[in-house]
Amino acid sequence: MIQLFNVTKSYGGESAAVKDLTIQIPKGDFVYVTGASGAGKTTFLRMLYAAEKPTKGQILVNNQNITRIRSSQIPYLRRKIGVVFQDFKLLQSRTVYENVAFALEAQGKKRYEVSKKVYQALKEVGLEHRLQRKPLELSGGEQQRIAIARALVVDPLILLADEPSGNLDMEVTLDIMELFKKANARGTTVLLATHDHSLHQRFPRRVITLEKGKLITDQQSHHS
Amino acid sequence: MLENIRYFFRRAIRNMQQWPLLCSAAILTMAVALATVATFFLVVVNVEQLAANWTREIQVIAYLEDAPTARELPGLFAKLENFPEVEKVKYISPSDAMARFKSRLADEASLLEGVDRNLLPASFELMLKAKFRNQDGIDRVIERLDNTINVEDLRYGQKWLERFNTFVGMLRFISLILGSFLIFAALFIVSNTIKLTLYARRDELEIMALVGATMRFIKIPFLLEGALQGLLGGVVSLGFLAISFHLLIKRSLTSFWLTPTDLNLLFMTPGQQLMLVIAGVMLGILGSLTSLRRFVRF
Repeated sequence: MIQLFNVTKSYGGESAAVKDLTIQIPKGDFVYVTGASGAGKTTFLRMLYAAEKPTKGQILVNNQNITRIRSSQIPYLRRKIGVVFQDFKLLQSRTVYENVAFALEAQGKKRYEVSKKVYQALKEVGLEHRLQRKPLELSGGEQQRIAIARALVVDPLILLADEPSGNLDMEVTLDIMELFKKANARGTTVLLATHDHSLHQRFPRRVITLEKGKLITDQQSHHS
Repeated sequence: MLENIRYFFRRAIRNMQQWPLLCSAAILTMAVALATVATFFLVVVNVEQLAANWTREIQVIAYLEDAPTARELPGLFAKLENFPEVEKVKYISPSDAMARFKSRLADEASLLEGVDRNLLPASFELMLKAKFRNQDGIDRVIERLDNTINVEDLRYGQKWLERFNTFVGMLRFISLILGSFLIFAALFIVSNTIKLTLYARRDELEIMALVGATMRFIKIPFLLEGALQGLLGGVVSLGFLAISFHLLIKRSLTSFWLTPTDLNLLFMTPGQQLMLVIAGVMLGILGSLTSLRRFVRF
């Protein structure tokens, strides 16, 4: 599903953001990417949805080499990938419904299909009663759930989450982890970047640890 | 496809409603830019019309030493009418000239009683074809006249008319340069205004790219929005021009400065009005296109 071969990304400075990473992530895996801030977690995720190009090495996503992807092909890669951010990245001027519908509309889905899927996705995250609200009228946890609904509404093969609980308290974080686990149970490969160790202690899964851009440990967990 | 087009229109209109201030700023900028260029155009068109009106009166009058006899007259007429520069020839016999003189004297006509009816010389009035209504054309006609008939004296278009023509030519040249400069300035301002509206919506552009919208899908609503704003800008500028032309300029100029019969000020023809609106649409599209390039990138 996701394969990295000797991937290095440097921004021209002395030290590279990501150094010589070789990682294989099979389909349906749930992986924590941990490390202190500046360890290269965000760069790692950004390369997977082609927001950054590696300086060296090759990346394969779903058997497609995305290091040589043409920019006109990037949208089609991103349609297979849902991304969730620490700052939610919601459109404040749009309603909850419109925010989620945006992802489907951008893919050119038909209107009746959009409304059905948006409703389902919002129901999935428990916010179907908030359709017409604006994001700022909602709590942080609710906003993140909308962002997750937007990422999942397109049935992505891969879900990337960059510090999704960075701005949220533990109770809300646990709700959100449930959503990720549910998506994973349906077959979506989940990569979750976090510096919060309590998460993988609570929900043990494979953990990839980065330090100064290098892979230092890759622990498989033995959850059932 | 139809679904997409409907979606693009919905998005474009939605965007405009969402940012009413920025949207009206863009429309007004374009309206002002278009109105400025169009005003310039109207000035040139009207000055040219004025020039054409005045030069229509250019004619060469040849006073003859001896009035031709009735038998010579048709031959002379034919010769003069054959001049390639000449449009119309009119013969004024000495008695015609006297009659004209009398009518001009009006109440004082009695002064001419007892004066010889053939005192005034006979003359030919030569009207020139439009493209020869200049110094060059006049010179050529004079040369031909000298070779054809016995001319006692010549009168022709005053020197100032020649200078006026030079002025019109210069005006046309300056207006071309200034006009293109204005259009570029307008494009620059419009593109910057649109850049501002895009800057306000950079999150939206970023998220669209993130969720897998194609370049075309991202750009089309914005181009459409630019086109709609351009359309509105064009209509506003046209309305503004029409109102100010009919209410202010035409009324005041014709009543204070020039007699109404002297000059009928021209407004844009329907075709030119359509061109102005289309120019607005193009301006909007071009403005959006140049600024989108900066904001939408993968």
